[in-house]
Amino acid sequence: MTALIGNIGQMQRSFGSALVSVFFLAVAGWAALLIVFPQLVMLDSSLTRPARQLDSAIAAQLAADAATCITILEQYQPSDAPASPASSGGLAIPSPSTTAPSAGLAIPSPSTTAPSSGGLAIPSPGSTAGSVGGRPYILQCDRTSTELQLVRDEAAGRVLLDVLYDLPKLGVDETAPIDDQIAQAREIGALAEELVVTLRAQEATAFRWSLTNYEVLTAARAIPMEPATLAADSASLENKLYSIVGLRYVEDGVVHKRLALITLARTIVFAIMATALALIICYPIAYNLALKSTKEKAVWLFLGLVIPYAIVELMRVYAWVSIIETNGLFNAVLDWIGVLSIAEGEAIPFKRYPLTVFLVIVYTYILFMAFPIVNVMSTLDRNQIEAARDLGASTWQVHWRVVIPHTKPGIAVGCISTFMLAAGAFSVPRIISRGLQGEWFSQTIYNKYFESGNSEVGAAYAFAFILLCFVIVAIFMRVMNARLKDFVRA
Amino acid sequence: MTDATHATGGVAVGQMRGREVRLEQASVTYPNGFTAVHPTDLRIEAGEFFSILGPSGCGKTTILRTVSGFQEPSTGRILIGGEDMAGIGPNGRPTALIFQNLALFPLMTVWENVAFGLEARGMRKAERRRRAEELLALVALTGQEDKKPTELSGGQRQRVAVARGLAVEPAVLLLDEPLSALDLKLRQHMRAELRSIQKKTGVTFIYITHDQGEALTMSDRIAVMNHGRVEQVGPGDEIYATPASAFVASFVGETNAIPGRLKAADGKRAWIETPLGAFTARNPHGVGEGREAMLFIRPEAMRFGDGENRIDARVTRRDLEGAFVNIFAEAGGRELSLHLTNTGDAGRNLDGPQSLTFDTGDALILPKGELARTGKELVEA
Repeated sequence: MTALIGNIGQMQRSFGSALVSVFFLAVAGWAALLIVFPQLVMLDSSLTRPARQLDSAIAAQLAADAATCITILEQYQPSDAPASPASSGGLAIPSPSTTAPSAGLAIPSPSTTAPSSGGLAIPSPGSTAGSVGGRPYILQCDRTSTELQLVRDEAAGRVLLDVLYDLPKLGVDETAPIDDQIAQAREIGALAEELVVTLRAQEATAFRWSLTNYEVLTAARAIPMEPATLAADSASLENKLYSIVGLRYVEDGVVHKRLALITLARTIVFAIMATALALIICYPIAYNLALKSTKEKAVWLFLGLVIPYAIVELMRVYAWVSIIETNGLFNAVLDWIGVLSIAEGEAIPFKRYPLTVFLVIVYTYILFMAFPIVNVMSTLDRNQIEAARDLGASTWQVHWRVVIPHTKPGIAVGCISTFMLAAGAFSVPRIISRGLQGEWFSQTIYNKYFESGNSEVGAAYAFAFILLCFVIVAIFMRVMNARLKDFVRA
Repeated sequence: MTDATHATGGVAVGQMRGREVRLEQASVTYPNGFTAVHPTDLRIEAGEFFSILGPSGCGKTTILRTVSGFQEPSTGRILIGGEDMAGIGPNGRPTALIFQNLALFPLMTVWENVAFGLEARGMRKAERRRRAEELLALVALTGQEDKKPTELSGGQRQRVAVARGLAVEPAVLLLDEPLSALDLKLRQHMRAELRSIQKKTGVTFIYITHDQGEALTMSDRIAVMNHGRVEQVGPGDEIYATPASAFVASFVGETNAIPGRLKAADGKRAWIETPLGAFTARNPHGVGEGREAMLFIRPEAMRFGDGENRIDARVTRRDLEGAFVNIFAEAGGRELSLHLTNTGDAGRNLDGPQSLTFDTGDALILPKGELARTGKELVEA
């Protein structure tokens, strides 16, 4: 702290108070706007129940469905029915004012074990589906019923809207005359709108934070499979490992997997392995570059390292795509030398192998390991290496006792950068695997946010991910015994 | 700072023993064609304090590196204790090198530095620590074991480096200008300490330096090198009094060099004609009549007065050096220097023409050859 104050004093002497104040304000503003604020927003979001799981959202959906049902019914002319596109069953008209797609989304409710339970605004089983009598089937009208299931924990059982909020059990009777149906829908719509107002007022005052979204992250999913498949599934090494750490278990003959956690664990393990491989590759290169080569040779080696990185990252990844494709370079060469035949479908499906993603990640981020190591290593006095050798140290001892301790800050910086880049990699797994193998956790988060539109759960995933990476980096620094002070040297 | 001679280190000292080092026609030519060391024969006795003295770039460090094993000689052999060192790396030779910048390991404590060589040999930690403490006692650094090298003074770091080198019980300790970074007082003190450590341990010391003062004060014998060749080997007194070449005469100690031509030679004496006049002087190398030669007179051999060898000069400057006074005089367009013992008023009020003289026995005639560069030349180079 005193050092910091001393530095500020020195800066004031060098640049003047005004410039120093502007600098610190800018830094504070940057930290608040780009670091603290987004994290707080994400934390808040991750602790908030998804809005569409709230009772008010379900009531609002009911009101919207009723309105759509009325609109369609009002336009409905029985004589047009055979020619109407709606007659083909179902309905193509999207319900207005709905925030979520009308089809029931599979939002897993916490501790869900069977895929059937939970979910959103599922029409109660009592209502009849399918086209009967005078008009074709209209989804929104079918859903216009007070007998709606609310999103609750499994323990709470089946909770219905009409029961909980003491509403009459109403529905739109398909067999009734159209005008009666419109009247029924109007009644239900009015009740729903009234309920929405009441519920929103209640929810605004209620305590809104819960760990529901984090429970989604840890939730196990039942994976139905045949007994024979189950035995094979249990025998695989990957699944055995998952079983040991509790990410997979078999209950009543049904396999359960904590899918989100498995993706997270896989990502972290891959990132750690990528970091380790990058370190193993970079250390000898850096040693030769920084301490063994003459200046001229070092310049060439360095250029060789840097040039591939003067290319946009995506281009580097796409270059690999053209190499590992079914008709790519590798398979073409193997075909040409007669090892396999692409025409007969014997091409090696590289993009299905996790190893491919792993290696491309190492390739993409290895320079972030090499640079800090080379930089720190080149500050080592070569005489120290000679002194160690002269005193009888073996090559291994020279590295272990002299070179590595000196290079430690560079190794730490390189490992942290590479680990964070590999763990957070998005473009590489996305472009290389294209969904043909298990996804990277960054993809899972992306999907939660933008594919399933479930940003609260996405925020919980992201926050847990950040926290876990942070813990790993902290443990790593602890193990390396690296202090922040050392990084300045790097 | 306690003198190292007061330190106790009997156990550590008793186990060491110096060995003889021999260079047989050893030469070093670098891949770019530059010959750093021409074929050289050199014999350094076991337990000797041997200095290699020369200007920078003369090849003295290269010789050191061939002995320590960092550089294989291009031709010839290196023998330590009669054993050919060809193919043996620096970690396999019975030598220890002390670097110019000391190359202490900054991340290790003092005792770990000292014990590094023992650690490399797989000695147990408790034993290593005990040995390190003994060696630190030898160099008068008891109590500094757990400090980092950066927490020590320059002289203390110097002694850590010596202790680290001695820890592996080398037969030969190689020192590459280790005192050059120290200031004058400390340097003079460390000379005495190094000499005393060498005496106590009996290890052969090969000391590289460009500082003739260091070489003369510490060494049993000195080799003077220039351009990759050893010009003279001998005890300091001999090198100073009877230099073998013009280079040695001008590099070791100060001297007045006057070029000329021999008019007559008679056994160990000769008569030389120079722009400043004709003089008689010793001619130990028997330079022949009519040959170009150089006359060397040490400043302390010159005095004011008249005699057999007389130079008419004009005093231009008087520099007080402390124990002596350095007088500069101009004669025939040449600057001559005289050292007078400082008796209080030595060399004062000497403006105007003066006559200088020197004894025949104090002046030396050597074959014409390259001179060491003067300070002025070094600045301009």
